[in-house]
Amino acid sequence: MKVCDPVTLEIIRGAIRATQAEMEALLERTAISAFIREKKDFYTALFDADGVMAVGSNVPMFGDICGPVFKHFSIETIQPGDLYWYNDCYGSEGAVSHSNDQVFLAPVFHAGTRCAFVMGWAHFADIGGIRPGSISPDATDIFQEGIIIPPTKLVDRGVTNTAALEIFYRNSRYPATCRGDTRALMASVDLGVRRMVEVADRFSSDMLADALAQLLARTENLVRQKLRETFPVGTHRFTDAIDSDGHGTGPLHIRFALTRTADDRFIFDASETDDQAVGPVNYIMNRDVPGTAFALYFLGGDPSQVCNAGGARAFDDVILREGSLLRPRFPAPLGMRGMTMMRVLATLNGLINVAGTPAPAAHAAYVILFIRGQAGGKPFLFSDGLGVGYGARPDADGIDSVYFVAQENYPVEFLELGYPVLLNTYAVHRDSGGPGEFRGGCGVVREFTILADHGILAIRIDSVVNPPWGTAGGMSGGMPRAVVNPGQPNEQVLKPLSDGNKLHYGDILRIETGGGGGRGHPFDRLPAAVLQDVLEGYVSVKAAQRDYGVVIREQQVDAAATFSLRQQRPASREFHRTVYVDAIS
Amino acid sequence: MSMPSAERRLSVAVDIGGTFTDVTLQDAQSGEAWCAKTPSVPADPSSAFVEGMRLALALAGAPTSAIAQVLHGTTVATNLILEGKGALTALVTTAGFRHVLDIGRQDIPRRANLYAWRKPRRPVPASRIFEVTERVGPGGRVITPLDEASVAEAAEALQALGVQAVAVCLLHGFANPTHEQRVAELLRAALPGVAVTASVDVLPVVREYERSLVAILNAGVMPAVSTYVARLAERLVEAGVTAPLLLMQSNGGVAGTATIRRAPAVTALSGPAAGVVGAREVAAAVGMRDLITVDIGGTSADICLIKDGRIGLTSSGRIGEWPLPLPMVDMVTVGAGGGSIARITDAALSVGPASAGADPGPACYGRGGRFATVTDAHVVLGHLPPALLGGAMRLDVAAAAAAILREVAEPLGMELHAAARGILAIANSNMVGAMRVVSVERGHDPRDFVLVPFGGAGPLHGTALAEMLGIATVLIPPSPGVLCAQGLLAADLKAEFHRTLPQAGPPDAAAADAMVAVLRDEAMAWFGQEQVAEAARRLEPVALMRYEGQGGELAIPWTGSATAALTDFASAHQALYGFAMDAPVELVTLRVEATGVMPASVTQTLVAAPMPEPEEIRLVHFAAATLATPVLDRTKLGAGARFDGPAIVTQLDATTLVPPGWRVEVHPSGAMLLHLRTSEVP
Repeated sequence: MKVCDPVTLEIIRGAIRATQAEMEALLERTAISAFIREKKDFYTALFDADGVMAVGSNVPMFGDICGPVFKHFSIETIQPGDLYWYNDCYGSEGAVSHSNDQVFLAPVFHAGTRCAFVMGWAHFADIGGIRPGSISPDATDIFQEGIIIPPTKLVDRGVTNTAALEIFYRNSRYPATCRGDTRALMASVDLGVRRMVEVADRFSSDMLADALAQLLARTENLVRQKLRETFPVGTHRFTDAIDSDGHGTGPLHIRFALTRTADDRFIFDASETDDQAVGPVNYIMNRDVPGTAFALYFLGGDPSQVCNAGGARAFDDVILREGSLLRPRFPAPLGMRGMTMMRVLATLNGLINVAGTPAPAAHAAYVILFIRGQAGGKPFLFSDGLGVGYGARPDADGIDSVYFVAQENYPVEFLELGYPVLLNTYAVHRDSGGPGEFRGGCGVVREFTILADHGILAIRIDSVVNPPWGTAGGMSGGMPRAVVNPGQPNEQVLKPLSDGNKLHYGDILRIETGGGGGRGHPFDRLPAAVLQDVLEGYVSVKAAQRDYGVVIREQQVDAAATFSLRQQRPASREFHRTVYVDAIS
Repeated sequence: MSMPSAERRLSVAVDIGGTFTDVTLQDAQSGEAWCAKTPSVPADPSSAFVEGMRLALALAGAPTSAIAQVLHGTTVATNLILEGKGALTALVTTAGFRHVLDIGRQDIPRRANLYAWRKPRRPVPASRIFEVTERVGPGGRVITPLDEASVAEAAEALQALGVQAVAVCLLHGFANPTHEQRVAELLRAALPGVAVTASVDVLPVVREYERSLVAILNAGVMPAVSTYVARLAERLVEAGVTAPLLLMQSNGGVAGTATIRRAPAVTALSGPAAGVVGAREVAAAVGMRDLITVDIGGTSADICLIKDGRIGLTSSGRIGEWPLPLPMVDMVTVGAGGGSIARITDAALSVGPASAGADPGPACYGRGGRFATVTDAHVVLGHLPPALLGGAMRLDVAAAAAAILREVAEPLGMELHAAARGILAIANSNMVGAMRVVSVERGHDPRDFVLVPFGGAGPLHGTALAEMLGIATVLIPPSPGVLCAQGLLAADLKAEFHRTLPQAGPPDAAAADAMVAVLRDEAMAWFGQEQVAEAARRLEPVALMRYEGQGGELAIPWTGSATAALTDFASAHQALYGFAMDAPVELVTLRVEATGVMPASVTQTLVAAPMPEPEEIRLVHFAAATLATPVLDRTKLGAGARFDGPAIVTQLDATTLVPPGWRVEVHPSGAMLLHLRTSEVP
């Protein structure tokens, strides 16, 4: 076994990053669906010879990707030129968490020895199911969410199982798109394999193996050390909730308990989380997820560190309960699991906060919508993802108007060229950021005029009842809503998680997304910062006075009025969700 | 480019640096060149410009009237954008879309950490963005006519704010510019002295965020670039120069002052572009046309691939934090240069992208810098002479060693020289990664290319980079530190004219030809404006095509045949991405690339000279062994000189490291060719 020195380690890490960048560029340029090429809903990763993720993406939602394949195909039987494929959420214990996401995984061999695996992953626009887009709030079991692909050997030593692909394409409402995206993803993984062979050629597979082992150990050690610094011995608890499953149940609570034992073992327990839901908000939380998310938080902005399975290894045990929202029983539906996943991340922030280390306030869950219908006699499927506000941080405001890592919006001009809608406005959602010394990020407003003959809208919004909490005196984020024909006699506020909403030519659909929670007392925010927010359309004059105690007249701070108003500083408590409270529940 | 009757036709290239202004005068027929150097005058760069020109003319013994063209590359726009110091700028946009910049593409970047990332501050805050009532829809259809009263209101607000520049970017303006142009016209009338840019004047393509940004960056640099160019032109007239003034663009071509004053943003990345053109020219003199160039400066390295003498262009470039989708030389920039800092954080060693800059600079500069940098590693290993710039700058070897020991060697338990080599290996590896992106990713094998390293630090890294890429030949330009002048003298006049089709679809030869004809007319008008002689005009129509639904297009030469275009597209897709499909192909954009070919410049030849004695013999710590290494003065090397590494070749603007296993051959053009002697690779 060769030992990789620090210089070679950095060089190998750089080569892997460059490989990821190349794979991503190929996918972005050649994929067909707007979901992949414009929204960029895809990721790549590299695993060691045993299938342990050594270099992932900066997204805290990946679980053990290779394990499910090895259960079906023993690792010794894997050959050069093979390609494995699946989207089976239950079969992978949540490594994939809704069926639209396709995983392609290929081994890398060097001089006859397996030395790595390469993954390409992308969200496919339609794989069958109850409605176009395969995701619907109406779904009550996973069979309504499209075709399920168990771990499958798609390419056997260079020979593609075209029959499997044809069955897959035949199950999509948009087979040509599906075919093009599959080809692009396969080409991307192929490229990744070639590049990794070159790396092994350059450094030997022993050296590569040691480099990957070191990257894993480095992240694991860092996360363990930070866990010790963050959590005193004992059990730390935090509870957050999603509003509803869209089928009459809610709120649904996520309850986490993190225990550090006297001998420095770390145990993550999610078993007190509420029971699974009828609607598609269940989220199979892979055991690796809490550790990966903590790792990402602890690694912070240091570009020389990598997010990998080392974070997950820092936990000695992860306890989940069969039948709960985070470990549902087959075949509960999962399509809208994103809102639960985003709340899981906020609950982890909460754990850090209650343990005494300042961490971000809660963020809103990105909003998604689908419109399917007929325009000019032809069917169309329009899906859109809208940005929200993220939580205020101990040293900075929350991020305004972003969706999630890596995923982009559809530019207005692009959208109008491709779909039967016209945008009336696309703007920052004023006053949606939770007030605080550090303000929560603001969501967005996106308003469409419908130009289709008719359409059916599915929408997913969360945190209407339980907005993202603020902390340390900061207040909760503003509430989202979706409304048809606002201000007109036929105005209709939509159910936040609903399908089957009918739209007609000329209807106006307005969506206002939620903001993140604030941090620190809003009366401690510099008046100049509040003024700037007002001038830039993030905070209204009214809210500046009401929430921040800053009086603004004719685009100037009225210093005297502000001073006297700020004398009457409202008392605050540890958390805020609509009102100040000692704990979020 | 009118043809004067004078017997002597001189081109003059002016490169204004922070300290010196370099002027190169070249006789187009003989290739003879004269160089003059004069101190820069930051308060009025044009005075050094004219003074340097006067000095060079005196050296050549030529009258002012012999000047046929004045070529210049300016970094005014570049610096203003990078430092965020452009004019106070506002944006006028369509009602309902004031937050177009704030929202941007609504993403946290793929490589960023969502817990730590902060959204970069926009070049224009929403408080300086004003909406006008109007709406153009897809395909350019007017949905709401322009309400001129709303423009008047915006103008009033802009006046109250005292803005110096305004960008106008309205939705779908690229498809129907009438509203944009009318708003710009009204604002120009209402706000005299304020620079106004309509987005279509700079970048008529889809995607409102990127187009707005380009219009804003353009408007923000317009006042300064305009003043600068106007003053230069004035000074030239005063000095009796009647020849046209041509400025370098980011696309590697030059253009006249009218073009530059309308779209100054096209000069934003002209500096690196000029260097690439210069590298191509230097290599052409040796008969080499397939090149990978690497320009290594203090903070970054710019890497470019030249295939068959053609420099690739891209429209997806960036400047600083911002996308800048204007046509520019297709380069990849990495944060690896002489000043890149080596440090250890949480047990991980990294080099760059942080840089020690020029002040205090690397530890070896002796100005109190404590960081261990790439330059310090070179000093410690003996690659650099103890003094730079002809003795003007001493290097502190002990300080360099102390910094590397403290920052890298001791924490990692490494020996000093091993740590220094490690720092260089990482910096080189970062550059090699980018070189793979420009070569392998685009279907080229780097081993088929010659490496041309330039910039102050380039020739120190050339052979190491070549070895990592399997490249056997390295070409060191005669003056690796000042290639811009060569680039200016060699650049052609260039412009691109493009139209996005109202609706992408299968290529229709008749419709495409009609659109190409319109673009040709625009190009011909431009040729007229730039006074390009008939014989020098080149037009290349290009079709940008993709499989229906794809996000990226491939540029395919348009010959007038849809069948040929489809076949060429399929083979290009196969070559580039490894697959082609039986799926519908659509034509998205047509482009006509217009070139005004400049007369080829003849390169001056170097005469033979006896092999000079080494200036000194120094110990250099190579990986395999520490070797007594001769140090040669490049100015004393004649044509045909040959010698083997190890050797170090010094000159005023760069130092070349020749490790064992490499053989140097001095070409009559003045370039040094380094050949890897494969049988003796260490």
